[in-house]
Amino acid sequence: MSAQKINGYVAAMFEVAVANEALAVVEDEMFRLARAYESNDQLRSSLGDSSLPTERRQKIVEQLLGGKAHNVTVQLASMLVGTGHVALLPEVADALVKRASSEKQQEVAEVRSAVALNDAQKTRISEALAKATGKKLNLKVVVDPSVIGGIVATVGDEVIDDTVRTRLDQVKSRF
Amino acid sequence: MNLVSVIIAAEDPTQSHHWLFPEIGEIIYGGLASLAIFFALYKFGWPAAKKALETRTATIQKELDDSANARRQAETDAANIRKALGDVASERAKLLAEADAQAAAILAEGRARITAEVADMEARANAEIAAARSRIGDELRAEIARLSAAATASVVRSALDDRAHQDLVDGFIAKVGASR
Repeated sequence: MSAQKINGYVAAMFEVAVANEALAVVEDEMFRLARAYESNDQLRSSLGDSSLPTERRQKIVEQLLGGKAHNVTVQLASMLVGTGHVALLPEVADALVKRASSEKQQEVAEVRSAVALNDAQKTRISEALAKATGKKLNLKVVVDPSVIGGIVATVGDEVIDDTVRTRLDQVKSRF
Repeated sequence: MNLVSVIIAAEDPTQSHHWLFPEIGEIIYGGLASLAIFFALYKFGWPAAKKALETRTATIQKELDDSANARRQAETDAANIRKALGDVASERAKLLAEADAQAAAILAEGRARITAEVADMEARANAEIAAARSRIGDELRAEIARLSAAATASVVRSALDDRAHQDLVDGFIAKVGASR
């Protein structure tokens, strides 16, 4: 049932984004919003709090994204909140990114870093991963302090992990 | 001088016959009467006396036989009683011996079972102690590892400046680039 809903939302969002010629921007912003939703407990509880009026929760989304995100992104996120399916945001965003990448014959490459990456670093990482995997990539960067340092990249089923957290885990497992 | 001479010498001359001896006729009649009496006694009294004597003898003999039989029966009964007493004593001794044997067997079995149970309990207790020791050791090691990792992560996190982060990113790019 969830998969059906997710596919329905993704199809609708995809068509709306394409119609507004903002697919690349929307899928990137939805991806970042989903990661923020996953990592922020307060945001998750606020948007998922059914005791709050729907209009109030949609207002939170608009205040959060207003002026920083494309209008289509704000409307789509607000729609998810309004239909009471905001919990599906991470899956919907990931599926949207995957579909948008497929349209461009690209594979999604999720890169998690402890610190924000500049454009030059993103380009170098994207080129290096494309060279390593032999695929055209749609790079998605997630700032994740839990990795402590370094980068972990996921391309399809392949994971390239060079993070400090993993090295510490390896040391911990030797105790 | 013999007795007859003395008796004759003492004879009273006034008597027609001797004072001690009866007259001849009296002797004859008396003798015939005596013979008749003796004959009658022999003829009629003796068989009755003899029969009475035989009856008495048979009665006494029968009583003697009965007594002998009774004695034999009593001796047989006494022997049987003694034998029965002996059997009872033997049965008692046998029962006591069997009871002792059963008690010894039960005791031995109980001791063996208790010994086995104690050994089993000891083994289980030792296993549980060893498992608890191992578990506590594992938990302690895990806790130490967790604390060490947390402390290390905290130290490493604070030690990573921007330059170090950039170096790590460059290192990742170099590693990925070198993988092909």
